[in-house]
Formats: sequence, C-alpha cells, structure tokens
Amino acid sequence: MEKIIEIADLTFHYPQQDSELLRQVNLTIHKGEWVALIGHNGSGKSTLARLIDGLLVPTTGTLKIGGTILSDASVWQIRKKIGMVFQNPDNQFVGANVEEDVAFGLENLAIPRAQMQVRVKEALQRVNMWEFREHEPARLSGGQKQRVALAGVIAMRPEIIILDEATSMLDPEGRKDVIKIIQELSQAGFTIISITHDINEASLAQRVVVLNDGQILQAATPQTVFARGEKLLAVGLDVPFSEKLKVALSRQGLHVPAGYLTEEGMIDWLCQSISKT
Amino acid sequence: MSIHFKNVNYIYQQATPFEQQALFDISLTIPSGSYTAIIGHTGSGKSTLLQHLNGLLKPTSGQITIEKQIITPTTKNKALSSLRKQVGIVFQFPEAQLFEETVLKDIAFGPKNFGSSEQEATQLARQMAHLVNLPEELLEKSPFELSGGQMRRVAIAGILAMEPQVLVLDEPTAGLDPRGRAEIMEIFQALRIKQHLTIILVTHQMDDVARYANHVIVLEKGRLLASGTPTEIFSDPDWLRTHHLALPQATRFASALQKKSGFEFSKMPLTEEELANQLVQQLGKRG
Repeated sequence: MEKIIEIADLTFHYPQQDSELLRQVNLTIHKGEWVALIGHNGSGKSTLARLIDGLLVPTTGTLKIGGTILSDASVWQIRKKIGMVFQNPDNQFVGANVEEDVAFGLENLAIPRAQMQVRVKEALQRVNMWEFREHEPARLSGGQKQRVALAGVIAMRPEIIILDEATSMLDPEGRKDVIKIIQELSQAGFTIISITHDINEASLAQRVVVLNDGQILQAATPQTVFARGEKLLAVGLDVPFSEKLKVALSRQGLHVPAGYLTEEGMIDWLCQSISKT
Repeated sequence: MSIHFKNVNYIYQQATPFEQQALFDISLTIPSGSYTAIIGHTGSGKSTLLQHLNGLLKPTSGQITIEKQIITPTTKNKALSSLRKQVGIVFQFPEAQLFEETVLKDIAFGPKNFGSSEQEATQLARQMAHLVNLPEELLEKSPFELSGGQMRRVAIAGILAMEPQVLVLDEPTAGLDPRGRAEIMEIFQALRIKQHLTIILVTHQMDDVARYANHVIVLEKGRLLASGTPTEIFSDPDWLRTHHLALPQATRFASALQKKSGFEFSKMPLTEEELANQLVQQLGKRG
C-alpha cells in the first residue's frame, strides 16, 4: 500500500515552553486508510494534526506527505492535499449562503467559475446539503453546519481529510449524519484522520492510534484497543457498553470471556449461556 | 422551590412576518428538590422552556409559578430580579462567557453584582471553586489559560456563587471528553445531595438521564409529550423509537437481547448494574 503520511522521530514544543508536547512520534498512514486519533485532553492530538498540515513546525524529526518532506518550500503544495474540519461549527463560516461558503476556498485558488460551480455542486451533493445551497449558514443545525464545512473541504479535492473533534459539539442525530458522511468519504478513497472521543466513531476506523502525554501508546485495530476496557477512560475514550456490562457481570460473580466483544458478540454469548443452563 | 407551568404558550416575534410559535399549551410541574431531565430533539422547545425558568422569556399566554412568584405575560421585568438569583442557568458552552482577569474575580462577579461586598464575594468564590474541584493554584490565573473542562467548571462556579436554589443546566457536558463529562456529572450529583438544590438538566445523553434523574419531561415540537420517572419513560422502547428518542445503553441492549433470546425483562433496566442483576438472576434460575 502506498504511504501517504510518514512521521519520523517527531518532537515538538512551543519555543516559550520547556516541556515537550510530542515526543518521539513515529507513525505511517497509508493512502485510503481511516485512522482514529484518540487521547485525553492535552495529550497532543490537535498538535499532531496541526503539524501534519504544516500549521506548526516540528522541533525535531520529519514529516513526509505523499512522499514529499514538509518544509517551508513545500508547505503550500502539501496543504492543498489536506483539508481540515474543526470542532466548533460556528467558527468556520465566511459566506453569506451555503453555496458561497463552499466556493470560498476555490475562489482563493482562482478556479474558473464554470468549474467552480461543478465542484461546489458535487461537494454539496456528497454531504446531502445541495438543497440547502441558498440557506444562510447561521440558521442551520450543528450537524448541517459541519456537513457544509466538510463540503468546503471536499470541493478543494484534498487527498487527506483531518477531522479535529468535528462531531463533539453535535446532537446525536447531527453526529450520526456526519459520521455517515465520513464513512462514505472513506469508501470513496479519501485518507481520513479523525480525532475523537466518540467510541462509535472510533470503532469505524481501520486503526486507532492512542496518544498519551505526547507519545504513541498504542496503534492497533479498534478491537485490540477497546480490549483495554475501563482503562480507556484514562486515554480519553468512553468505555464500550459491552465492556461496562462485562465488568458489572463479573462483579456479580459471573465468568465472562476475557477478550473484547462487540455488543452483538456479547448478545450471542449471553444467548449461548442461557441455552446451556 | 417547585415550579408549575399552566397552559404556557410562547410565540417568537409575535405579530411580525417572522412569527413562530415555540411552546404550545405546556402544563407541567417540576417538584422541589427533584433532579428533572428535559429531553427532546433539537428544535423541540427545550431552550425556550428553559429561558422561562428565570424570566428571561415571559409566556405569551398562560402562567408560571415559581415557589410563590407568579409570572404572566404582563409581569414587569423589575419584579423578576430576585428570581434571577434563585434560579441559576448554566447555558451551553458557558466558558464563552468568561471575561475577568482571574478565575476568582470571574466567579465573584455574580454575587458582587447582586450587592455582596468584595470580601463576601471573594470568600464565596473560593467556596464555590472548591465545590467544583478547581485546585487552589488556579484561582489567581487567567481563566483563558485553563483547559476546556476547567473553564467550564469556572463558569459553573460563577452561577453557584449566586447561591441559587434551582440549578438549570443546558447540556453541561457537551464537547468535553468522557472523563471530564463524568467529573462534571458527579459534581452536580454532590451539589444536589449536599446543598439540596433542585436540578434541571437539558440533555441528549440518555445514560445521564437514567443514572441521575428522578423525573423526566419529554418535549416534541414545542408540546409536552410525556412526563414521569425514568423507569416509566424508558419502559417502552418502541414508543421511544417512534418519537426518534434514544434509549439508555443498558435499555437498548436489553431490548435487543429480549428480541433474540430466552431472556425476559420484567422491568427494563436503565443502567449496566440493573441489567447485570437481572441477567445473573435469570442465568442462575436455569442453572
């Protein structure tokens, strides 16, 4: 598989601070992969995302995006490959209506109008917001706003999309809508990095990377990471319900399977147990 | 302080082309000392209802009784100032309202505004900071240097410093990480027990409703859809699904398990402990 992000021995601290926010980070992400980046508040997740986008410069170590080393000379070219969506849906709008907002980035690149119209339509259709194209962004729901922000990113045709807690301020329905769009974008071949505290969002990723105090603690499949059970709370993730139930059952003296089970797996196991007894 | 709504209607921008009715004929009671959860979709009227609780909005028709004070469409704003002290509202993302130079000054602002002396207000601020688990060394810092979870606790302490009897919380844990969410919810629980506050919680987190509330109000499109105990409200998963309301995780799991297997739940469990209890009993009986 083609490597799209290669991070080698990366260390970062702000000039005025002594302590390092990231220490000896090594991580390779492949083209088309969906990686969930988790960690408690202050673990360095957002800092890492900003380093990948060249918004911050590493203290030591290197970052390669699509085979090119990130440097002053390459940053503008590299940034075109990356789109970012942030946490607060209200802080990301510039246009007077949805369509203009999505077009903003393209205008900056001086894309011809006819081509711009095609790309804006395509991007808005992709997030199911085309029918809202003439609406005022401020009057949309949180989930709709984040989908418009995603459309703004998609219209730029990046290869990598970074979502920095993009679902954390949304209501359950808005969150579900945005996660569904992320799934579709992943299937369409975009490389996705989603920074999240949401267990459902993390469970859909191919790989979960756990950051703890500026270091990578674990990088594995969601199943492997979720097997940490109650210790997940310490790394910024909710404990999956199946794990909570296992703890409650074993407190009552019941023998439960050791490995991680999904909710379906847990239901199957309980069904078998009751038919055996 | 008990709160009663009687036939309350509220219309935004009445008699203009933008007129929009947000509350329809709401009658309900929030018992004194209760932990009441208000649930419903975005746009169900939760925020509008909440702003009636301390007179930020007055009903277009109908009346609200809060302890002995009656609010009608013609109540003068001046008559509401004592109510603002008795009912403290923590709005969504309250950290956006921090503004003072230090954490302590920010928390002390409310009581000073209501006439406490500098010394009284500062002393109160220290107490409240302690109550929400803010470490002493943060009190002289700028609130803007703190983490998101700490900033939120400063904002909550600022409301508590007005010593309200009713604490209204509009999605107090939105945007926090799971550990921060759990900490904040435990603080409210402790406040209710130690300070005997009436707590009104607006939330989408059904697990918090199941774990903490003893009274639930369900709104839909500006109307009261149901009210009762969490056990009553969550007893009928199909009814909740019809109204696009989520279930607590344990209830959802029990409902899925019931459909697939020989397990029967006489009472739908609300938490993993209740679920585990019933499962162990049923497994034991057969064994």
